[in-house]
Amino acid sequence: MEQTVKKFSIKEIKEFIASIPYNKITIKDILSFEKTKENKILAGVIALLLGLFIMGVLMYLLHGHHAYNVTREHPWGLLIAVYIFFVVSSTGLCIVGSLGDVFGFKDYMLISKRAIFGSIVTILSGFAVIAFEIGHPVTMLIYNIVSPGLRSAIWWMGTLYGLYLTFMIIEFMFLLKNDMKNARTFGLIGLLVGLAAHSNLGGVFGFLNARTISNGVFYPTYFILTAFITGIFIAFIMMGFRYKLNFTKEVQVMLSNLAKIQGLLISILIFFVTWKMLTDIYGGMENRSGVAIHILGSWTFWAEVILAMLIPIYIILKSKGDDTKKLFYASLGGMVGIFFMRYNLVHDTQLKPLQMMKTEQYQLAPQWVHYFPSAAEIMISLGGLGICLALYYVGTKLFNLDSDTHH
Amino acid sequence: MANYGMALDYKNCINCKACEVACKEENGVELGAEKHRIWVGGNEPDGIWPLLNIASAAFMPSQCQHCENAPCEEVCPTHATYYDDNGVVRVDADKCILCSYCMNACPYDARYVDSRTMTVDKCNFCSETRLARGETTTACQNTCPTKVRIFGDLDDPNSEISVLLRTREHFTLKTHLGTKPKLFYML
Repeated sequence: MEQTVKKFSIKEIKEFIASIPYNKITIKDILSFEKTKENKILAGVIALLLGLFIMGVLMYLLHGHHAYNVTREHPWGLLIAVYIFFVVSSTGLCIVGSLGDVFGFKDYMLISKRAIFGSIVTILSGFAVIAFEIGHPVTMLIYNIVSPGLRSAIWWMGTLYGLYLTFMIIEFMFLLKNDMKNARTFGLIGLLVGLAAHSNLGGVFGFLNARTISNGVFYPTYFILTAFITGIFIAFIMMGFRYKLNFTKEVQVMLSNLAKIQGLLISILIFFVTWKMLTDIYGGMENRSGVAIHILGSWTFWAEVILAMLIPIYIILKSKGDDTKKLFYASLGGMVGIFFMRYNLVHDTQLKPLQMMKTEQYQLAPQWVHYFPSAAEIMISLGGLGICLALYYVGTKLFNLDSDTHH
Repeated sequence: MANYGMALDYKNCINCKACEVACKEENGVELGAEKHRIWVGGNEPDGIWPLLNIASAAFMPSQCQHCENAPCEEVCPTHATYYDDNGVVRVDADKCILCSYCMNACPYDARYVDSRTMTVDKCNFCSETRLARGETTTACQNTCPTKVRIFGDLDDPNSEISVLLRTREHFTLKTHLGTKPKLFYML
């Protein structure tokens, strides 16, 4: 009896998968695109990035962690920052995609399928990068299940992101089948699991009592806020490329509305960051004000502020969110700013040396921990971007990512 | 079953580094590795000649604090870091995935990557070597010429360390973090 049930359910799953609409494509289809100068450059850049990924991975396979510039004092480097960059992007796209298919705001249905696909692609890219940062990924897969550390934020983050990816894939399949009821159910579960995973990623830093600059509730909430902002930046980029900046009326309305939400979110972010800096500097917590002042003096912090906050908010306020073309370019810059935001987050928490009394006699202890990523780290990170762009491009060929109601 | 801790009569330290050598020899720490499991810190004396603050220039031997509330144990996603039956914070190299979260979380910078196994390692009070052989001293304690280190069972009221902690003032490092270190510095 049990076997019958099992066979039946497997058959059903097979039928379900077989009924998912997709375009049958070959390598030739993937390589055939409109041969404009811009497209050729973009294709070349993606090929270059993928090549860098392979080179970076080869360096890692040859030299292991020695290929990276991470040290005992600075154990987390660029790859952790890039992983966070991708998973933040994924969570953000999940939130943007959910506006339409989970919460039922019809204007945003236009982007739901594309955003949910983007969330899958970005998290896969994040996993591709982190696989070469974790020293023993296979051991991780085994002992994550066999010996789970339930008090560890990393365990929750990793496990929940695995579940989140599953729900996102299921939601995307239902969206392709235009089964909105099931898409909404799995979308809601995926969104909640994604938010939990993402706030746990903030918790990874928030739980560190050794690092006063990151300890506390700030990062778990800030991560969700910046994820939404990142999602809207990527929404502009995806729609900008999709419509070659000649937006239809519906898309223009949607992007304009998204821009207004973005304006509010960036305002809240500026408010949050201002108060974080004020409390860090004047809060009187040991070792915190020095680190905050050091951050204020770094160009990467100002790159984050100018690119991800000031330029986009200026354009949004000036045009009341209607100048979507300028916002497309501001979003490209915004993503560069978001990258620095992630890099700063990882680097700044490790700035202050913990070295207790390991000071050498007759030699002053270093005031700050220095770190600059190695060639292998940079190659794998850029390669992650290449994987993301390549997967997205293949997805646009393989699936219809436009809204069915719209076209 | 014991609850091991260590008292450090640090003002007796002469910075001969015999403890570092003995630790390396006993526990097979990598050759050339400096300040890995244990180390001796020193500071330049504060002040300007001739008003130098001699007391500020004391040598400070240190290592993993074997905290009762160890942040490294809490953050480990696979329980590679664990408390053994003797209250010693240990690392199971087979379970370590090298996520380095423990290195980031340890307030005492007591953890390092063993480049042979590419797993995180630290002082374990000679649990795999001397204690496993039934001995009751650590290598660093045994070799110290000025008897800086006193290792023993904190739960045994008659142990040397328990008597010492009852009779002499002492302090622990970064006490405000609530990690409850089991390395005690004697005043």
